[in-house]
Amino acid sequence: MSARVAVVIFPGTNSEEETLRLAQDVGIKAELVHWSRAATLPAYDAYILPGGFAYEDRIRAGAIPAHDPIMDSVIDGAQRGKLILGICNGAQILLEAGLVPGTGAVRVPTAAFTRNGPIPKFICERVNVRLSIDPGRCAITAALTKDALVPAWAAHGEGRLAASPQHLQELQIGNHIAFVYVNGAPNGSALDAAALTNIAGNVLAIMPHPERDGWGYNHLRENGSNHVLEASGGAVLFKSFAKALLA
Amino acid sequence: MPNFSIQTLTDAQLKEAARRAGLALRVDELRRIAHRLDRDPTLVEVHAFDAQWSEHCSYKSSRHLLKALPITGPTVMQGPAEDAGILHLGEFNGDRYGVVIAHESHNHPSQVVPFEGAATGVGGIVRDVLCMGAQLIAIADPLRFGRVEDPSSHQRYVGIGVVDGISAYGNAIGVPNIAGDVYFDEQFDENCLVNVIAIGLVKEPEIIHSAAPPNSAGWDIVLVGKATDTSGFGGAAFSSVTLDKEDKDANKGAVQVPDPFLKNVIMRATYRVFEYLRERKITAGFKDLGAGGIMGCSAELCSSGGFGAIIDLDDVNTALPNMPAPVIAIGETQERLCWVLPPDATAAVLQIYNEEFSLPQIAKGACAAVIGVVQKDLRYVLRCREEIVMDVPIEFLTGSIRDDPAFQPRPAAARPDPASSYMTCDAPVVDLLARVLAHRDVCSRKPMYKQYDTAVRGTTVIGRGESDAGVIAPIPGSTLGVALAVAGNPRYGQLDPRLSGEHAVCEAVRKVAAVGARPLGLTDCLNFGNPQKSDQYAELVAAIDGLATAARELAIPFVSGNVSLYNESKGGKAIPASPIVACVGALEDVGQAQSGEFRVGSCSLFRIGLPTNAFGGSVLAGVLGVDGGPPPAVDYDAELATLAALRQALATGSVRAVRAIGNGGLLATLAQMCFPSLDSEPVGLELQDLGLESFFSESGGFAVQVEDARALADVVNHFSFVRQIGRTTSEPGLTIEGLDKVDLHRLNEAWSMPLAEVFG
Amino acid sequence: MIRMRAVAISLKIPDNEAFTALAALRRLGVPVAKLERAVIWVFEDNTEAGFLERISRNEALFNPNKHVLRELAEGAPRAGETWIEELGQHDDLHTYLGAKPMPGISSGKRRIAWRLFGEDGGPVESATLADAITKLLCNPAIERALTA
Repeated sequence: MSARVAVVIFPGTNSEEETLRLAQDVGIKAELVHWSRAATLPAYDAYILPGGFAYEDRIRAGAIPAHDPIMDSVIDGAQRGKLILGICNGAQILLEAGLVPGTGAVRVPTAAFTRNGPIPKFICERVNVRLSIDPGRCAITAALTKDALVPAWAAHGEGRLAASPQHLQELQIGNHIAFVYVNGAPNGSALDAAALTNIAGNVLAIMPHPERDGWGYNHLRENGSNHVLEASGGAVLFKSFAKALLA
Repeated sequence: MPNFSIQTLTDAQLKEAARRAGLALRVDELRRIAHRLDRDPTLVEVHAFDAQWSEHCSYKSSRHLLKALPITGPTVMQGPAEDAGILHLGEFNGDRYGVVIAHESHNHPSQVVPFEGAATGVGGIVRDVLCMGAQLIAIADPLRFGRVEDPSSHQRYVGIGVVDGISAYGNAIGVPNIAGDVYFDEQFDENCLVNVIAIGLVKEPEIIHSAAPPNSAGWDIVLVGKATDTSGFGGAAFSSVTLDKEDKDANKGAVQVPDPFLKNVIMRATYRVFEYLRERKITAGFKDLGAGGIMGCSAELCSSGGFGAIIDLDDVNTALPNMPAPVIAIGETQERLCWVLPPDATAAVLQIYNEEFSLPQIAKGACAAVIGVVQKDLRYVLRCREEIVMDVPIEFLTGSIRDDPAFQPRPAAARPDPASSYMTCDAPVVDLLARVLAHRDVCSRKPMYKQYDTAVRGTTVIGRGESDAGVIAPIPGSTLGVALAVAGNPRYGQLDPRLSGEHAVCEAVRKVAAVGARPLGLTDCLNFGNPQKSDQYAELVAAIDGLATAARELAIPFVSGNVSLYNESKGGKAIPASPIVACVGALEDVGQAQSGEFRVGSCSLFRIGLPTNAFGGSVLAGVLGVDGGPPPAVDYDAELATLAALRQALATGSVRAVRAIGNGGLLATLAQMCFPSLDSEPVGLELQDLGLESFFSESGGFAVQVEDARALADVVNHFSFVRQIGRTTSEPGLTIEGLDKVDLHRLNEAWSMPLAEVFG
Repeated sequence: MIRMRAVAISLKIPDNEAFTALAALRRLGVPVAKLERAVIWVFEDNTEAGFLERISRNEALFNPNKHVLRELAEGAPRAGETWIEELGQHDDLHTYLGAKPMPGISSGKRRIAWRLFGEDGGPVESATLADAITKLLCNPAIERALTA
């Protein structure tokens, strides 16, 4: 039986539909799981935390959802080796929950995606990110080629990687920085980091949205008028995720 | 509940009493109320009429004028009868899809509290579209600011706050911002314009109307959303209401408090309710709360269905205890919606909002609750604390009233004398180009729009700044595309209100055509001065006539709109006439959406359309500091032929990029098509020397990049105004025949910098 | 003499941020019965007279929802209260002061003040406050990055 993936909706999530749609379009058996049905989460084999503003980014992005009972199942799953992909706000939640980079205790973060710098404002722009680890270091990227480029949209107000110098060094030595922005970080992120993975490599937290550049029509510039409805571009990361579910 | 004395007062006394009570109602209107009720109205009633008969609700100065606009045509699914109009997009999998569109302004609040004003503007328009049963698919925002250059100006504070507000609200609810425009003019220093457009997607049979359905007497009236608080009513309007000392502080604000988080959840819960109602084939009535609050919304819902209503204000969830009845009834707290539901569906709908989407856990006091019942008896009745506080004939409350201020027709602007208005200038073309590109109405808007989420929902084909119109593919699995663009040049509005209306329509249509879309329909927001002043009223009359003429000539209907009057400075000077237009277009195949940026080098360049020598209101005239004369006239035969020529050119399949020739003219448009390539594989320009007129005229037409010039031979033969003007190359730089090559990076910098300094 | 002054802006309209934060603190086992959130502006001020009046006159700037402004003695947190730096989209005070210059005030910093109350209605003990700060109100990773 193929793996079932939950796309988890918190109050304030806003990218659930396209995340679900792209997952399904690359063959993942995914469904939306609403917060009112959080009790069903343990039955799923993997989780995607989509983008948005869960609990309105109150206190700071990811802070309240990281402590929501919904995350108990996700944290438990991560510890059992389930695959977990957090995108944008989902990534912020994973860092606040301490699952990524996972070098400290649960819910005691050692790194954070915080307010953009130097201008502390929301940014929305097309970016390319480059895989900066061995593909096999993270199960979700294992099917990507070395140095793979993934097109995506950066769309966040709090996407700057921040950690103490010691923890930043840990991130580099431990090969936690999974993707870096190609042309420099648009948000002041330390080490140009766009995505982090955990020690075991089963959890990936990525700030830019590959699912917003996931179909032919999102990037007509490359594809001309052909295959506009096919999953392409940023879908490459979802395809790699789909392969990892089969492994 | 005390009454508001009318019958015993003289006109002078009544005028003074109304002023003290903060009522906008005139003496004759107050007397009409007392006469019809045959008694003095209660305080709740007088405030209800004040809200309902206000310009905002009744369009009393403009309603009759708006009848001139064409509102029918094969693309119209629903004209401007309700909060939003609906245009036929196309069929997919046997379903007929409509695009719901609404257009609003939030000018006055944004001038005072820009962040909250702009954010609540987005919130309101989103509710207008939602209540038609639609899923929100995009928003757009035309903005007009004063001089923001001066760091110590209120205008800069307004500009930054408005952009922050649009960003904070639109981004959180997850609707992509795909179009908009910005103009800066000192005449907006004391009165900025913040217009918002929202579009949604709906299948034809699933449209929900803002009316109590047939045979709905006895049905439940359900209020959904934020706890009703004391925010969102004109402070002055309620000065007559006695407030507890305790509440006084909280009652100071006329500012509505936006809550995009709650809106995000309410939107999604409402989608779930749509699903529930569809499954059970239940017809319901649905409307958002705007001006007039609970009273305005419930009265209009029931009245348009041919019913009355009884509302129990004690059943309204309020943020504070013991709020005065008029505040509960008429206050404009944000994030609220109202359903008319058959009683056997009510429990399930309440369950969706209150339990499945847990509104009470999301925001304090938020919930869905039954507050009243639809009545056969055609009266509108409010109860509060065991007392009847309002009981009036419902059609008297909601029926249309009309003001027809006397006005002198504005003398027609003198026709341009070609010889006298011809622009001459000794400055080198390239120097002029640099100045035009740095002009406040031409320079890059990226520092503003990059704060807006243009890609959420994953449907974006052309995002903000990538072309003249935004394009999305809103139906999963379908190639159907929707294009959206806005227009309205205040420099024309200043010179000739009528022509500014005509140009606004033509420009919006051109922008939609430029991305390869077929224009479906229009909306307008009429931002004008004080209709009580005959010269300012005359501008409104002229502009509507201009809009109507252009829409008729181009055969594109208006399906919704909004009027915002009293936009004037403290000294009573009106803003430039600002009819702002949005145009929705359809693409059968989003794969055919045209790029607005050059992505390949070796191609030919064509211009479609003839430039004219009318430079009135042009950027060039502004840059040179000269009077350019009147704005260009509109020649509809030429306009239609230009659009036909573009369609024919696109049909060849050889076109690689298109833009409508916009602010600053042809040369500035071509330069902007080059700029995005400079970071990767630069595209250069080689142009014939077409002369000042062709390079800088803003009289319409298109700049078109064509891979194979021969492919356009038929188009060139058929339309005399299509001509090759040069080519794009893989060699970076701009070369104009006979002149030295110019570095495009330098021009890009001139274009990019001005607003970056203001908006960061 | 330059001294630090502060102004608190009480949020009278139901403040949903405190509403959900309270639920999160309770889930974390922090004994809090009531939570208040306010925006605090801390100014370097060298002119004594009319400080609050000047701020009040600019209330649209600091306090768009027109709630009560109150001057805080010497700009220090009260019992059971913590002030947390917020790098928000709203806090470009330089721009605001540019738009609305106020003599004697050259810079200011925006803080979010959280005040926690226990079951007895009084401010919580400092140990409870510290617990709330480390568990939820501050992210240690951000704090360490800022102080590094």
